[in-house]
Order: sequence, then C-alpha cells, then structure tokens
Amino acid sequence: MSEERILCYSEDIDLAGDLLRLARAAPGATGAKIHAVVLPGAPADAGDRLARAGAEAIHVVAGAANADPHVVAEMLRSLIAAVKPTVLLLASTKRGREVAGRLAGGLDLPAITGVTGLRFAANGIEVDRETLSGNAVSVERIPTRPAIVGVLPGTTGPAVAAASAERHDHALPAAPTPFCERTEVRAKPGGALEIEKSDRVVTIGRGLKKKEDLGIIEALAKAARADVGCTRPLAAEAGWLTDDHWIGLTGHRVHPKLYVAVGVSGAVQHLVGMRSSKIVVAVNSDPNAPIFAQADYGIVGDLYQIVPALTKALGG
Amino acid sequence: MVEKLRIGVAVKYGVDVSLARADRATGLVSLAGAPRKTSDFDLNAVEEAVRVREKHGGTVTAISVGGAEAKQSLREAYAIGADQGVLVTAAGAAAWDSRAVARLLAATIKKLGGFDLFLLGEGSTDHFAGLIGPRIAAELGVADIAYVRKLTIGPDGVVAEKDLEKEIEVLKAKYPVVVAVGQEINTPRVPNFMANLKASKKDVQTLAPADLGLAPEALAPAVLIDRTAVPEVPRKRTTVSGATPAEVAGKLVEALKGEGVLA
Ligand SMILES: Cc1cc2nc3c(=O)[nH]c(=O)nc-3n(C[C@H](O)[C@H](O)[C@H](O)COP(=O)(O)OP(=O)(O)OC[C@H]3O[C@@H](n4cnc5c(N)ncnc54)[C@H](O)[C@@H]3O)c2cc1C
Ligand SMILES: Nc1ncnc2c1ncn2[C@@H]1O[C@H](COP(=O)(O)O)[C@@H](O)[C@H]1O
Repeated sequence: MSEERILCYSEDIDLAGDLLRLARAAPGATGAKIHAVVLPGAPADAGDRLARAGAEAIHVVAGAANADPHVVAEMLRSLIAAVKPTVLLLASTKRGREVAGRLAGGLDLPAITGVTGLRFAANGIEVDRETLSGNAVSVERIPTRPAIVGVLPGTTGPAVAAASAERHDHALPAAPTPFCERTEVRAKPGGALEIEKSDRVVTIGRGLKKKEDLGIIEALAKAARADVGCTRPLAAEAGWLTDDHWIGLTGHRVHPKLYVAVGVSGAVQHLVGMRSSKIVVAVNSDPNAPIFAQADYGIVGDLYQIVPALTKALGG
Repeated sequence: MVEKLRIGVAVKYGVDVSLARADRATGLVSLAGAPRKTSDFDLNAVEEAVRVREKHGGTVTAISVGGAEAKQSLREAYAIGADQGVLVTAAGAAAWDSRAVARLLAATIKKLGGFDLFLLGEGSTDHFAGLIGPRIAAELGVADIAYVRKLTIGPDGVVAEKDLEKEIEVLKAKYPVVVAVGQEINTPRVPNFMANLKASKKDVQTLAPADLGLAPEALAPAVLIDRTAVPEVPRKRTTVSGATPAEVAGKLVEALKGEGVLA
C-alpha cells in the first residue's frame, strides 16, 4: 500500500485534471491519496471537474483571486503545511515554473520541471524529463520527500472513474501581499489555431525575406491542406505570425502526418517541436543545414523557386 | 531613490546542446564530457545589464557557478561590458543541481552586499528548468519577474512586460528585483577582437562555498540524474533533385502520395 499523498495544482483546471490522471496512473502510486487544490478565482465548476478527474480530496482556499506566482506559492505553502503531501504536482507552464521555483526556494525543497513521466519507488520519486533543449530525455530521481514536480502540459494518464471527493475549506490567516503590482494585462493576438492537432503543417523560418512573402507559404499550405507553422524568431521577434503558429521547445509540439520545413535551419530547440511528425520534408538553400539530417525528403534550393513550384504540383 | 544602480547578472557555462552526441551503442549522452558554451539567454541578460548601466549608470557584476571552465562565461560577460566577474567554484561543482546553484547564487549576492537589479536567463539552454530566478528571489525574500521582453528602469523600481502563454502582463516592482529574460528582449552585441582580448586579461574573483558559509552537505544534490538518452527518430534522408523546380516539385509530390500523407 502506497503512502504517497499527492497534491495537484494548476490554475488551468484542464491541466490540473491531467495531473490528477497522471498521478493515478503512476507506477507505484496504487493506494496513494490524491488531493486537488482550488484557489480563489477558479471557475465555479472547478471542484466538480477535479472530482471527475479523480481527486479524492479537494482543498478550497478562500480569499481574493491573485495570479501572482508569489501569492500562489504562499497559498500552496499553507496547504503543504496542512496536507503534508509527499509530492506537489504542478503544471510546467510559465507560471507553474515560477510557482515551483518560489516554493522550492522558500521551503528549501527539491524541485524539477519539464517532466514527462512519473513513477514512485521506495528509493525516491523517479521522473523522465526533457533536457538538452528537448532533444534528450533524462531519468532523474528525487530521493527525499516532499518534492515539487512540474509536469509538461500534454502529459497525463488514462481517464478515471469519478471519485466522490471530500471537500476541505481553508481560510488563510492573512492574504499574502504580492511583491509586484500588475498595472495592465492584455491578451496576445491570435490563439485560434490548434496546431498540435494539425494533420499537415508547412513551417516557415527565417529563410523568408519579408512579411509580405508569407503569401507564397500560405498558398502552399492551402494546396497541401496544411496549417502554417513557424520558428520562434518569426513569431517572437519579427511578429510576422502569432504565437499559435510557433513550433518548438518554447512553442507548440506538433504530431502531423506531413511536416514541411521551409527556410528552417533545424536548431535543436525547433526539432523538439516536430520530432513526432510522420514524414518530414525540408527545403533549404544550404545543403549543410542541420534540418536535412532530420528529414525524409530534402530539397536543396531557393524557397522562392521551390515553394511556388510545389504549390503548382499540388494543384494549387 | 537608488543613487548608483547595483546590477548583477548570472551566467551559466552549460552543455552546448547542438554538439551533444549520444553514444552509438547505448544511446546515452555523457554530460560530463560534452562540449560547453554560455547559455544563450544569459548573453541577453548580460546585454540588458550593460545597456541599463550605459543609460542609467551603476556597475554590472557577472556571477557564474560551476567548474573552473566557467571562467569562459565571465570573459564573455566582460567582453560585452560587465565591470566585474565572480566565479563560484569547488571540486565537486559538476554535481551541483538547481537547488545548490540557487543557494550559492543567493549566498554570493548577500556576500557582495546585494543588488538592486539581478538579471538572468528565463531558462538555461541545457537544463531549461526556469527555476533559478524564482528560487533565489524566494531565498532572498525579494520580487522576481520572469519571461520579461521589455524592461524600463525607474528611480526606485522597474516596469516589466512579462510574456505568458496567452497574455502579456505589465508589472511594477520596487528594488531589489530579480528579472529573468529571453532572447526577444535584445540582440547581444558581438564583441570585437579588442574587446575579447581585453576581456581575456581581466581578473575573475573566485569564491568557494566555504567563503559563503555553505558546507558541502548544504549543496548535496536533491535531484539525481540517473541517465540521459537521445531518442533517435529514423528518417529516410532522401535528396529530391531535378533539372527544374517544377521537376523537383513533381517528384516530391509523387513520393508524398506514395507515403499516403497528402489529403
Ligand atoms: C532556450 C531556447 C528556446 C528556443 N525555443 C525555440 C522554439 O520553440 N522554436 C524555434 O523555432 N526556435 C527556438 N529557439 C531558437 C533556435 O535556437 C533558433 O534560433 C531558431 O529555431 C532558428 O530559426 P530559423 O530556422 O527560422 O532561422 P535560421 O537559423 O536563421 O535559419 C534560416 C534558414 O533559412 C535558410 N534560407 C535562407 N534563405 C533561404 C532561401 N531563399 N531558400 C531556402 N532556404 C533559405 C538558411 O540556409 C537557414 O538554414 C530557442 C532557442 C533557445 C536558446
Ligand atoms: N551554474 C550557474 N551559474 C550561473 N547562473 C546560472 C547557473 N545555472 C543557471 N543559472 C542562471 O539561471 C537561469 C535559469 O536556469 P535554469 O533554472 O537551469 O533554467 C540561467 O539562464 C542562468 O542565468
């Protein structure tokens, strides 16, 4: 019988559900008690959704909503004192990583992020984690408990039968005061494309000379019935495409049948995002571009000549 | 009101991920023997620190934690324009994990008398954990802002634009503050030959954990790496060529039809 008490938190209730399912399915966790957290500001149905994802105990904290990682960390700190988990599972999102770091620093606990696999053993908590910019996986072990584990979004376990969750209400002695004042928040443009689910992707990199030339890429994508992807510089630096097109370590991970990389050098941080594509095509003017080593079909040539020809050959 | 900004910046001499190779027989990567370079975003952090000093005055101190070879990162920081370099090192440095590095950095910051602004990368190129910034901020009990794309310096604090997955937050924090940046915040200057030569001759101050009041037990790894492997994805690596773009395109489309990946 496992002695593990697993406390799961993400402000994104879908991701929190993924954490609960991962915890339930983790080898060595049979008989573990799985707890979930609802912080102020969560949607009204958060408790129900967490119960459906398998939470046996739900800890509801009263107070004012505040997304500041320091405030969230302080709230979780109170829950850690009350629940005494053996492991705190967080989502390895940007905020999740900050919360993990603040909690770990404040409590002097072991912490790890970018986790894609979780197992419990007598000699510690074992995880798989992405490393070397996502191109390697390491097996790491945390010998002491409690520990903080940040799980990469997309990692979960099979669906579970809904548990009847017990509810615990927590009132904090005092609301934690944030260090930072948030003066503005604005939504980023885009966000509609779910490129993780695309069957075909045509990705453009810095080989494209100017934003106006995106038209030839869009035409190719249309002819191939593909979505348009891009490398980090095109989204984050140039802003030619919105972040929902961005593929790689810090962008989206895609799993298409066909991936066409055009004017993309093939940096390791990009490759991790496209590694699980079935067939990869690369078009690049530099025969030594690293992308060719990761491609099934390579065309050495100028994209301004090759792309229109491809569009035509596809009937576009 | 801060008179003379004290700016600190953390630089990691990490594994060069584009050169790390797995052993053919085992698929395992030996991190100890892998080629190294300065973590990418740390050069953005140094560049930002130097730009802040150029505009507002103050001093820039770069700190690296690791083996003796990490001096290389401090030389690069000097070449970009850092005023002072500090190497925190000891015989067992290779085993230091995030917890140990954060404790050493926090202790170094205290030992040097603190900073108003402490810059670092939002993730190291090899480890990419994003833990060091918030860990040291929590240990020091100060503000931290990560994923910063734009930093504005004020008399008693900063205004920073933080890039989250779906939104941008504008945050205000008073000094002292820890700020973690990515590559979009600036383009690091490429030092010229003279700057590199001058940097290579500058002294680096060396500190040992004992100088910081940290015993070896305090730095024992909390996370152990059992093994690191590179998953190999087999690819055909076929070159498609022809006399004209149209011929090449035709051949590729035929091949893709054969693969059954076109709609
Ligand atoms: C921590 C970290 C995280 C990162 N995360 C990501 C990420 O998530 N996604 C990502 O993409 N990158 C990421 N990067 C950046 C990555 O390292 C590379 O800088 C980036 O992927 C390069 O983009 P690129 O291939 O478009 O540009 P480049 O590397 O500049 O390549 C452009 C290519 O176009 C070719 N080319 C030029 N002209 C033509 C032409 N006329 N016809 C055909 N080919 C042409 C060139 O030969 C070259 O190979 C990250 C970096 C770090 C350090
Ligand atoms: N050994 C180190 N020495 C100095 N700075 C470091 C070290 N390790 C990490 N850092 C800093 O912390 C940032 C985030 O690292 P990480 O938490 O590993 O993703 C890096 O970009 C560096 O600025």
